[in-house]
Amino acid sequence: MSPILLSLTVGLTATAISLPPGILVSWILERTRWPGRGLLHVLVLLPLVLPPVVTGYLLLKTFSPNAGLGSFLQGAGMPVAFHWLGAVVAAAVVGFPLLVLSVTLSMKAIDPRMEIVSRSLGRSPGSTFWRVTLPLSWPGILAGSVLSFARGLGEFGATIIVAGRLPRETETIPLAIYSAMEVPGGEERIGVLVAASFILCVAAVFAARALDSWHRRRLELNR
Amino acid sequence: MRFDVEARVRRRSGFTLEASVSCEAGSLGIVGPSGSGKSTLLDVLAGVEPGGRVSLDGRDVSNVPLHRRRVGYVTQDPLLFPHLTVRRNLEYAPGSRGVEDVATALGILDVLDRMPRHLSGGERRRAALARAIASQPQLLLLDEPFAGLDERRRREAMSLLDQARRRFALPMVLVSHFAEEVIALTDAAVRLEDGKVAAVGPSASVLRAGETQIDNFFTGCVVGPSLVRCGHVDLHAYVPEGVAGDVRLACYAHDVLLATSEPKEISARNVLWTMATGVEPAGEAVLVTLAAPPVKSLITREAADRLGVEEGKRLVAILKATSISYLGPAS
Repeated sequence: MSPILLSLTVGLTATAISLPPGILVSWILERTRWPGRGLLHVLVLLPLVLPPVVTGYLLLKTFSPNAGLGSFLQGAGMPVAFHWLGAVVAAAVVGFPLLVLSVTLSMKAIDPRMEIVSRSLGRSPGSTFWRVTLPLSWPGILAGSVLSFARGLGEFGATIIVAGRLPRETETIPLAIYSAMEVPGGEERIGVLVAASFILCVAAVFAARALDSWHRRRLELNR
Repeated sequence: MRFDVEARVRRRSGFTLEASVSCEAGSLGIVGPSGSGKSTLLDVLAGVEPGGRVSLDGRDVSNVPLHRRRVGYVTQDPLLFPHLTVRRNLEYAPGSRGVEDVATALGILDVLDRMPRHLSGGERRRAALARAIASQPQLLLLDEPFAGLDERRRREAMSLLDQARRRFALPMVLVSHFAEEVIALTDAAVRLEDGKVAAVGPSASVLRAGETQIDNFFTGCVVGPSLVRCGHVDLHAYVPEGVAGDVRLACYAHDVLLATSEPKEISARNVLWTMATGVEPAGEAVLVTLAAPPVKSLITREAADRLGVEEGKRLVAILKATSISYLGPAS
C-alpha cells in the first residue's frame, strides 16, 4: 500500500476504533465520581505527555507475540507488532487523549440538570445518554475526531517502534519521509508526501466543518 | 394528594436539611429565604437527592429511581433540550400525550415548531412547564418556575399554570422565595428556615408580616365593552379591544376593599354585595374569601374586627376596574 493510502487507512481506522471507548471514558470522567477516577484521568492523558517512543515501547511489550495479549491476537489472526494494525494501535493510543479532552470539554458544557430533567421525564440513564448527552456532545466529538485523526497521521515515534518500517506495509507518510531523507535524490518523493499530508489534514478540517454545518442545518430546518 | 416526607440531607458546606412534612394538599407550597433548603427538599421529593423517605398518597416511593417516579420536574432554568424543537421537547417523555392540548393551555401552540433558542424567556418557561405536564406525571414539582420574569409575564404564566393544573387535575409542589407568590396557587404550604420547618399549614398561615402581594387568578367572559361576567356578577375591567369570549384575569387581594354598607359616592366602578365564605389569618392580616366575585381580600386584623368579618357575613366588595389585570384568553 502506498504511504498516503496507508496513512489515510491508519488514521481513519484509529479514529473509528477510538471513538466508542473515547466517548465512554469521557462520560465516565465527566459524569461519575469514584475513588479511582483520578488515576483513570492520568492514565488517559499519559500518551500525550510520554515521549511517543516510550509509548511505542510499552505497546510493543504489550503486543509482542511473546506477551499474553500479543500472542492471543496473533492466534486470532490479528498480529499487531510489525503489522499495519500496529500503526493503527499506535495512532489510536496517541490520539486518544486528544479525543477524550475534546469530548469531556463539550460534555462539561452540558448542564447536568438537563440530564436530570430527561430522567424525570421517564428516560432511563442509558436513554438519556443517547438522546441528550451524545447529541449535545457532537461538536466535541467532531473536533476530537479531527485532532485524533491528524495526530494519527503524523504519528512517528510510537509507530516506528510498534510497527517497524516495512515498506508498503507499515511505512506511513512520516516514516516514508524519514526513509526518503536517507536516500539520495529523495527530495521529489518528500515533496509529494508533504503535500499529501497537508491536503489530508486540511481536508479533515473541512470535512469536520461540513459535518458540523450539516448538523446545524438539520437543527435549523426544524425551526 | 397526601405528602409524607422525611428529608435528611447534609452538605459538605455545613448546610443541613432536616425536615419532616406530613400534610394533605391538592397543591403544596414550599417557601422560605434563599438557602433555607427549599430546592433541596424538592430534590428529595423528586428523587434527585438521596437522603430521605418520601411517600405519596401512602405509597413509599423512596427507592423508586427518578425515571420511574413520574414527577414533572421543572427547574428555575427552563432547560429545554436545545437540539429539539419545542414540539419534540414536549413529546420527549415516552408516555407523553395531548401535546397540542397542553400547548394550547399554556399558550405556546404557535411556537411548537420552533427551536428553543428562538423563544422568549416567558415562552421558554411555559414550554418547560408544558413538557412536564405532557409527560403525564403523577405530581408536578416546580422550583421557582417563573423567577426572573417581569411582573406582567410572571402573573400571566402563573395564571396559565393555574388553569392548566385545574384542567389536567395535577397535584403540584411549588417552591418560591415568597409565600405571597404561592398562596394563589396552593392550598397548603411549608415555610423552611435554615433547613428546618418553621411553619406548615394552610398557605395563608405561613405568610409573614408585610407580605401583601397575594394574587387572585380567575376567569370571566367578556359581555360588553370593559365588562366581564364572572359567575353571576359583572365586573368592570379593562380588556383590550377586540377580545371576546373567556378571559383570564387577576387582581391583588390587597386591592379588594370591604365595607358593611354601600358607599354613597365612590370612584371605584365595582361595588358588589357579596358574602364571606372563608376567613383565615394571614401573617399580621386576615384573608377573606368572597363568594362572588371569586376573589380573596386581604385586610388588617383591626379592620376585620371593626367590620365584624366572619364566615357567612354579608359584605360589600369594592374593586377598581384598573386593579383587575387582563392576562389573556382562557382556553
